[in-house]
Order: sequence, then C-alpha cells, then structure tokens
Amino acid sequence: MTSFLLYFDAGLGALIVQGIAAVVAGVVLFSKTAMFKIKLFLGLIKESDLQDSIDIDEDEEEDRKLD
Amino acid sequence: MTAHEASFRDPSGFVFIDQGIVRRQINPIYFNTFNALENSTVFKTLHKKGLLIPHTVTSRTATEIIITPEPFTFITYPYEWSFEMYKQAALLTLKIQKYALSKDFILKDASAYNVTYHEGKPIFIDTLSFDSYVEGTPWRAYKQFITHFFGPLVLAKYHGTAIFKMMQSHIDGIPVSLISSLLPTKTKLSPVLQSNIHLLAKMEAKHSTDYKVETVVRTLSRKQQSNILETLYNYINKLNPQEESEWGDYYTKTNYDKAAFDAKTVLLRSWVKDIAPKTAIDIGGNDGTFGRAIMEYVDHLIVTDIDSNAVDQNLRVSQQQDATKMLPFVCDVLQPAPGIGLNNTERTSLVHRLAAYAPDVTLALALIHHMTLSGNVPFERSAQFFASFSSDLIIEFPKREDSWVTSLLDRKREFKDHFDFYNLANFEKGFAVYFDLIKKQEVSGTSRVLYHYKKRDNGQH
Repeated sequence: MTSFLLYFDAGLGALIVQGIAAVVAGVVLFSKTAMFKIKLFLGLIKESDLQDSIDIDEDEEEDRKLD
Repeated sequence: MTAHEASFRDPSGFVFIDQGIVRRQINPIYFNTFNALENSTVFKTLHKKGLLIPHTVTSRTATEIIITPEPFTFITYPYEWSFEMYKQAALLTLKIQKYALSKDFILKDASAYNVTYHEGKPIFIDTLSFDSYVEGTPWRAYKQFITHFFGPLVLAKYHGTAIFKMMQSHIDGIPVSLISSLLPTKTKLSPVLQSNIHLLAKMEAKHSTDYKVETVVRTLSRKQQSNILETLYNYINKLNPQEESEWGDYYTKTNYDKAAFDAKTVLLRSWVKDIAPKTAIDIGGNDGTFGRAIMEYVDHLIVTDIDSNAVDQNLRVSQQQDATKMLPFVCDVLQPAPGIGLNNTERTSLVHRLAAYAPDVTLALALIHHMTLSGNVPFERSAQFFASFSSDLIIEFPKREDSWVTSLLDRKREFKDHFDFYNLANFEKGFAVYFDLIKKQEVSGTSRVLYHYKKRDNGQH
C-alpha cells in the first residue's frame, strides 16, 4: 500500500463505518430507483425530470464534433 | 525556493511562487502516480469539463517535476462561501471522487481548501490530491469529506450558514462528535445522517484509542463506495438552508423609486467608465445588481455581502448568465476573515488578500451607514479600512433624512444623540485623512450623495 502518501489519519472508525454506510446507501438508492420507476409508470414524472447527476458525462463523440 | 505558506501538509509536493507565478513542485514519491494520471483520461476529462485547474508541465528532472497551474484571480475560503457555494464545492468533490474511482484513482484527501471559485464556478485546485485506487479499500478521505463538507452543510440546514464560520476555528473540519451533538435528535431517524454522522461519531470515539489500527483490514467494494458517494451526492443536492435573509428581497424594498435607481446606475456607470478599471470590488454589494451594471467595464469583479442568501442569489444569476468575471462571496466588513492555521498564515486574512488583489475601483454603496451606525465605526477608521486596499473609491453616503438611516438612528433610542456626528461634513473630514475628493454628486430623487475618492499616495497627511 502507498501508506507514505496517507499523510493524515483516516480514522479507523471512519473506515469501519463505511461498510455500514454502504449498506444504507444501497437501500436508499434502491428505493429511490424503485420510486422513480413507479412514478414514471404512473405518469407522475417524465424521463427528463432526472435530477443533476454525480456522473461526469465523457461524451467524447460530441466533444469531437464541437471541436 | 520557499513553499507557499499553505503548502506543507502533503509530502507529494508543494506550491511555490516563482517570480510572481504560482507553480507546483512534485517530489519523486509522487512521480509514478502523476505520470499515470497524465497518461490516463482523468486529467484530460476533468480539465476539459472545467472541474480541475489545468496545468502545464514546466520541467522534469530526476528529482522534481515542476507544473504550472492556470492562475486564478482571487482565492476564497469555505468560511466565506454562501450555502449554494458550499454545496456546489461539496458536489464537485464527490463528482471527482466517483469519476476518479471509475478510472482506478481516488482523492486521497477531501479538504474544502482543495476547491475555490474560478470563472463563476467551483474548481478543484489541488492537482496532487489524486492517488491510485487499491481494489477493495474504503475511501481514506471519507471522514475528511464529512468534517469539511457534509457536516457543515447539514448543520447549516438546521442552524443557518453562520455555522460555516466554525471552519475558521477548525482548519481540518468540524469534529464529527461536535457535528453529531449539534444536530437535532430527529436526524438520528434519517438513515443517511445516522450512518454517515451519528454512527461515524460513535465509531470514531470507540476506536480513537485503538493503537493497533494498521493491522485491521477493512474491505469495501468499488460498487459499495460508489453507492456511498452517490447517496451523499443526492442528499447534498437536495439540501437547503432554513434561514431568513438579512435583506430579503432588498431591491423591491428600497426606499427610492425606479427613476432614482436608474439615476444612481447611470451615475455609477459613467464614473466607473472614466476610471477605466481592470478589477473592481463591490463591498456590501447585495445580489450583485450594481456590480452587474458596471461589469462590462472590468475584467474581474468581486461582490461581497454579509448575507449568504444575497450571495446565493448573485451566484445563481451569474451562473445563469455565464458571468465568468463575477466572484461573489460572504463578508462581514466589521469582522473580515482572519488569517488561520500555522503561524496564522496558512489561510491568509481577507484584508491581506484584498491588499494583494488591489482592485482598481472599490464600490461601497449604501454601506457606510451600517458601518457607522450599526458597527459604531468612526468615519476615519472606515476610511482607513478602504484605504488599505483601494485606489479609487466610489462611496455612497445616505444622509440623516434617508429612511434607512432614520431607522438605524431610532434603534439607538436614548443613545441617539451620541450619533449627531453622522453628517456629510464629518464624513468628508474622516475620509479626507486618507483620500482626495475627486467629485461628489447627489443622487437625484434620494437623500444620498455619491463620492469619488482617490487614495492619496502617501496615504495620510
């Protein structure tokens, strides 16, 4: 491990808790997706209502066209 | 070569100033990671998307690599951000971490000082914050993200943005135990807050005296880490502060009509145009309305206000208009951000940064009555403050008849008589200590006078 670069204490508690936070996150994301699909099915929202996403859109193709 | 005062925490390299140009030295221990990043799509994509400050490699030797990042005009710190500014900086950090993770890298730290505002948007400025991802490892910077970003934002939701000032006294973020204890009990019912704050605080307390930490191996899959990042992102994205604005919808409540407002704008534009400034600062500039009126005459413009909501409003409008020249941030002129950290120089004081920025013109519209009557600052001392960084000063003096002034005076109740000095003659006398009067003009339809002052070369008589 590149431990020499870990120049601050990450905190053992913080490393352990990520396992639990990940389980919670899995459930939260699953229910969010489920709710989204239900609302979509009932026509309460549209595909375009997707909120700002964490993912960076690399879309190389489009960028090349713009260049 | 001397490292920048703020650049000593990371052994990978340091920032230094080379004849006025900011450069970054990379030490041999970071060579492999840096080269891998240069050869991957990470830097390329993040630069192209405007999420990471671009750099050029200036020189390479066996002992050092020197890179030169694109310069930015003015650095702001987390305790000077409005809610929206803080939120966007947090989202940027998560976005970069999730992207880096998908390309086998991680952010090895998640300090709020890694982000600043540049050309109207938050941008990541610490090029050396990336490290290689080791499959199955948890995010080392997770706790730092909570103490620097998530904690302060959630606290601000419940207690207002004044909570961000706590970052001034906690340079490495607000301790998790403090975040947890300051949050209302009902937040324990929120799965996201319970796991990422309350449980974290408990686990940290439990393991704080466990000295065998290095022997414990905890695994977390890449997907699991992505889920945490995405959940935090979604949660922060929906956060809003619960606080009333100090000014509210100020410009709909002004004490002068549209004709007077237009007259002030025309006057201001013509005076600023004559000065032909490259840089400008509007102190107490609210939502940037008057800043925008002079924007076409400058290359860079700072608008500060004491009210986080006004700064939020300015940021929103500026981003909608793609106004890359505009830099809004929160500042209380009566207590500008101090120098903090090691030697009090790690993060420099606002007064120091303003002096270095040295704006060609300073606007102080409808501000002096607040400094004088709310802050009890004598005119000469206000003049001294403006003289510490301004050359040309356009300052508006609301006379005693102005309804805002009347209201501030009335609030003094039995001490009202102590403020008899608040008049044009005394104002001019105080400012004459540091400035030469160039011109003055009454704003038609108001009880306000606009002054153009020029700082005297020797500063004082």
